[in-house]
Amino acid sequence: MQQFFERYWVFGGTCLLFALVTLRLIIRERVTLQGTLAFLLLLFGMGLASLFPQADAWIATRMGFTLVSNWFFALCIAALSFLHLLALISISRVELRSIALTQELALLQEKLERALPAVGERP
Amino acid sequence: MPVRRVLAVIPSHNEEEALPAVIASLREAAAHLPWELEAVVVDDGSTDSTASRALSLGVRVVRLCRNLGIGGAMQVGLRMAHRGGFDCAVQVDGDGQHPPGELARLVARLEEDPAPDLVVGSRFRERAGFRSTPMRRLGIRWFSLLLRALCRLRVTDPTSGFRVYGPRALALFDRSFPYDYPEPEALALAQLSGLRIVEEPVAMLERQGGRSSIRGVLTSSYYVLKVTVAMVLAVGRARLRED
Repeated sequence: MQQFFERYWVFGGTCLLFALVTLRLIIRERVTLQGTLAFLLLLFGMGLASLFPQADAWIATRMGFTLVSNWFFALCIAALSFLHLLALISISRVELRSIALTQELALLQEKLERALPAVGERP
Repeated sequence: MPVRRVLAVIPSHNEEEALPAVIASLREAAAHLPWELEAVVVDDGSTDSTASRALSLGVRVVRLCRNLGIGGAMQVGLRMAHRGGFDCAVQVDGDGQHPPGELARLVARLEEDPAPDLVVGSRFRERAGFRSTPMRRLGIRWFSLLLRALCRLRVTDPTSGFRVYGPRALALFDRSFPYDYPEPEALALAQLSGLRIVEEPVAMLERQGGRSSIRGVLTSSYYVLKVTVAMVLAVGRARLRED
C-alpha cells in the first residue's frame, strides 16, 4: 500500500494528459505523427519514471547523481534540447522547401502570363 | 556570329518610386550595348505597386508571393537566365544604386580571353561616385580580409551587388545561392567552385528611393556575424567535399 502512494500519480497524470492532447491534435491533423512521435516517446518515458521511482533512484545512483531530482532535471533538459533540435531541423526543411516552391511558382506564373495574357488580368 | 543575350535582373522590394528611372536608364544603356538586353523585375513580395508599375513599363515581371530576401529574389532571376539560354545575367538593384550606364564596361569584360565567370563592379577600385558610409566601409573591409584569408580571393568590394554572371556562374547559382545577405558568401562559393572572378571599377549612386534592410546597430551586427559564420561554414563544407 505504501509503495502505491510513493508513486508520483500527479506527474504521471500530467504526462498522460499531455499525451492525450497530442493524440487529439494528431487525429485532427493539426500536427503530424512523424513530427510528434519523439515527444510522445518522451511523455511515455516520463510517465513510466513517475510510476516506478525506485528504478529512477537506481539509474540516478549508477549515473553518479546524489539526488534523484537532479538526475531527472538533467534528463529533462537533455530530452527537451533534443526535441528542440528536431523541431529546428523540421522548420528549416520546411522553410527551404517553401522558398523553392515560391521561386518555382513565380517562374511558372510568369511563363503562363506571357503565354496567355488574359490569365494575368485575373486578380 | 549570333547576337549574345543579356538578362538584366532587377530584384525589387517596395521600389515603386525608383523603378521607372531605373528601367528608363536601363533602356538608354541597352541602346549602347553590342548585346541584346532584356530586363526582368523580380518583385520580392512587395506591399506597394512595384509589380504593376513594372508591368506598365513593359518589362517582364516575376512576382514572388512572399518576401524571400535579396538572395531568394536574385536566384529566381539567375535561374530564369540559365533556363532561358541567356549568355549572361546582370544584377541591377531596383533602388537605383547601380547606374546602367556602367553596364557596357562590366559586360565587355566577358569578351576577355580567358573569359571571367563573374564580374564584380567595385566602388573602391577608383575614387568616384557614392562609396557608402564609414561604418559600412569598415564592414566591407572586414569581408575583403575574410575572403582573402579563407578563399585566397582578392576583391575590394565584396558587398557590391552590381555583377555580371557568366554561363558557369549561372549554372552554379541556379543550383545553390545564399538567401540572406548573399553577396560576400556568393563570392566565396564561386571561388571555391573554381570560377574566375574579376573586378571592374564602377561609380555607384545613392539609393533613389525605399529603405535599406541593413540599418541600425543590431541589424548591422547581425549582418556581419551571419555573413562571417556563413563564409567560414562555406569554406568548411568545400574542404569536406574535397576530402
